[in-house]
Amino acid sequence: MRLTRMAWRNLGRNRRRTTVTVAAMTLSLMAMILYSGLMTGYIRGAQRNLLDLQLGDIQIHAPGYRDKPSLYARIEAPDRLVSRLRGQGFRASAYLLAGGLAAAGDASAGATFYGIDVKHVATVSSLPGQVLRGEWLDPRRPRSVVVGRRLARSLEIKLGDELVVLTQGADGSMANELYRVRGVLKSVNDAIDRTGVLMTEEAFRELMVLPEGAHRVVVRHPKNQQLEAAVARVRALAPGLEVKTWRELMPTLASMFDTVFAVMYTMFLIVSIAIGIVILNAMLMAVFERIREFGVLKALGMGPGKVLRLILCEAALQTGLAAGIGAALATPFLIYLARVGLHMDRMAGISVMGMAWDPVWRAEVSAQTFTGPILTLGFVVLVAVLYPGIKAALIRPVAAMHHR
Amino acid sequence: MRPLTITIALILLLPGEAVAGEKRPDPRSPDFPRYVMRKLDDLYRGASSQGVMEMKVKTKHWSRAMALESWSLGKDYTLVRILRPRKERGTATLKARNDLFIYLNKTGKTIKITSGMMGGSWMGSHFTNDDLIKHSRFARDYDIKLSGQGEQGGAKTYRFTLKAKRDAAVVWDRLVVTVRRSDLQPLRQEFYDEDGKKVRVLTLAEHRDLGGRVMPLRMTMKPTDKPGELTEVRWTKIRFDVNLDKGFFTLQKLRSR
Repeated sequence: MRLTRMAWRNLGRNRRRTTVTVAAMTLSLMAMILYSGLMTGYIRGAQRNLLDLQLGDIQIHAPGYRDKPSLYARIEAPDRLVSRLRGQGFRASAYLLAGGLAAAGDASAGATFYGIDVKHVATVSSLPGQVLRGEWLDPRRPRSVVVGRRLARSLEIKLGDELVVLTQGADGSMANELYRVRGVLKSVNDAIDRTGVLMTEEAFRELMVLPEGAHRVVVRHPKNQQLEAAVARVRALAPGLEVKTWRELMPTLASMFDTVFAVMYTMFLIVSIAIGIVILNAMLMAVFERIREFGVLKALGMGPGKVLRLILCEAALQTGLAAGIGAALATPFLIYLARVGLHMDRMAGISVMGMAWDPVWRAEVSAQTFTGPILTLGFVVLVAVLYPGIKAALIRPVAAMHHR
Repeated sequence: MRPLTITIALILLLPGEAVAGEKRPDPRSPDFPRYVMRKLDDLYRGASSQGVMEMKVKTKHWSRAMALESWSLGKDYTLVRILRPRKERGTATLKARNDLFIYLNKTGKTIKITSGMMGGSWMGSHFTNDDLIKHSRFARDYDIKLSGQGEQGGAKTYRFTLKAKRDAAVVWDRLVVTVRRSDLQPLRQEFYDEDGKKVRVLTLAEHRDLGGRVMPLRMTMKPTDKPGELTEVRWTKIRFDVNLDKGFFTLQKLRSR
């Protein structure tokens, strides 16, 4: 207790030095907090874009469907499977898929029809929120569809326009139907943008004469569960079906994310080292400027352990101060970055490996956004102060008092 | 591209005498393969017809039978309309020159089949839209070789191997065509893709003389990669030299039931 008071008084004795040290720590901390927020936001954003929007965490197909998509390669009794999955804490929703033709006016184009379980799709996908113009599907209006952005452009269709679709029903009949365009999607991925015609499950079943089965079940696992553990449980619930994680479905993207993570952490390390050097410098100055003072303290009978503890205590107090001020100062910036974000307008509408990129880069904030940088700062300060601290603790009083 | 299309159209519109009047060359003559192919190319040229056919389609997952009514004028104009099943009655396909349209009975809409959809199935059968359009000509687009002789169903046959010319815009890289020796009627066609894989086989049977015109009443298309699947078309009624002109083959006609 006396030590803390002494350390506090010591800090007050040379306000300028303390201010400079705390300022260096504060700035470093702010930089790290903002960087960490943006970094998490970037990676999470990209992953969320991929997983929330299209892939889900895990996908279930009938064996062979992915190699050769066929209307007939179906998951039997998808409702039972989905409710089994829900019963085990997973979120799940079934999709129906088929190819065909979409036409409006004189234009026509190849299309992919998505039969969507409107009630449950929002639990596994953010697709319902990706409507650029118009509205998302409404199960009460089975005759209206939502289309991909580029399909809308190539068919020159606007909201409310008629869309004719032609395909072959499961019974071999010439399935054709007239729909109204209810919404146009934002950029989602190449496939949906170019060919996507989204309709309610009911409309799809009627069009394709397909009363039973589904082609894909998208599964999201609880947040507190690891992907590998989750997939093992899903496999147990879906015997005889092909169960794949998003990493297995998109290995290139998965490894790209890993690389991005590695790059980001390397950057984090470099930033931390740079900050460490600044702090090391400040701490060295703070100790060596007062080396004679420590000599006197030792001459008065203060043991080396106590000297070290005093110095550590001073460093801890400064770190605490910096942490408080830094976190407080970073917060408004973080709020801005999380709410408004950085607009990377030049990246708008581009897609990487068939996957649309969100043009707004937002920070993502959690407790870790703060604890990570603060712990890093604490660690760096500890390392930085240990050398001068030990040096001061072990110094001989006579040598110290003669030090200039 | 345009002038070429018109040229082709003009060639197709020439009267049929060009081959008909030609003397059949000796099979050993180098002109023989091309003569036979020209004859096949021009088999129904200039003829107008009206008829009804039964189409049976069998796939792994379903099989269905349809009745179709068809009108044609030469090789350029065809209108095919579904009579049965009732649900699809009125759905129709119009081929006018190089364009293909589909009328959908349920929605009352007409769709033009664009080049990207030519490979797609025609009316749910194993025939493609392109088979209907087929603006390639054996004699022009392929190098032809008499590659063998044999027997099929008791009839002596010639077998020709056709290899696509390098600059020819054709779907199939290689064809093997079997014709009957006696009257050079086609019996069988094998279609090969660029990898040299046999993709499908068309057999023609029940050749009948219908008022001086011999034609196969039954055609069966079998995809090689899907054993057991087939589409069989059989004419139950056909009349030639009916009173039809180009004005019949319009979008209005396509839409009327």
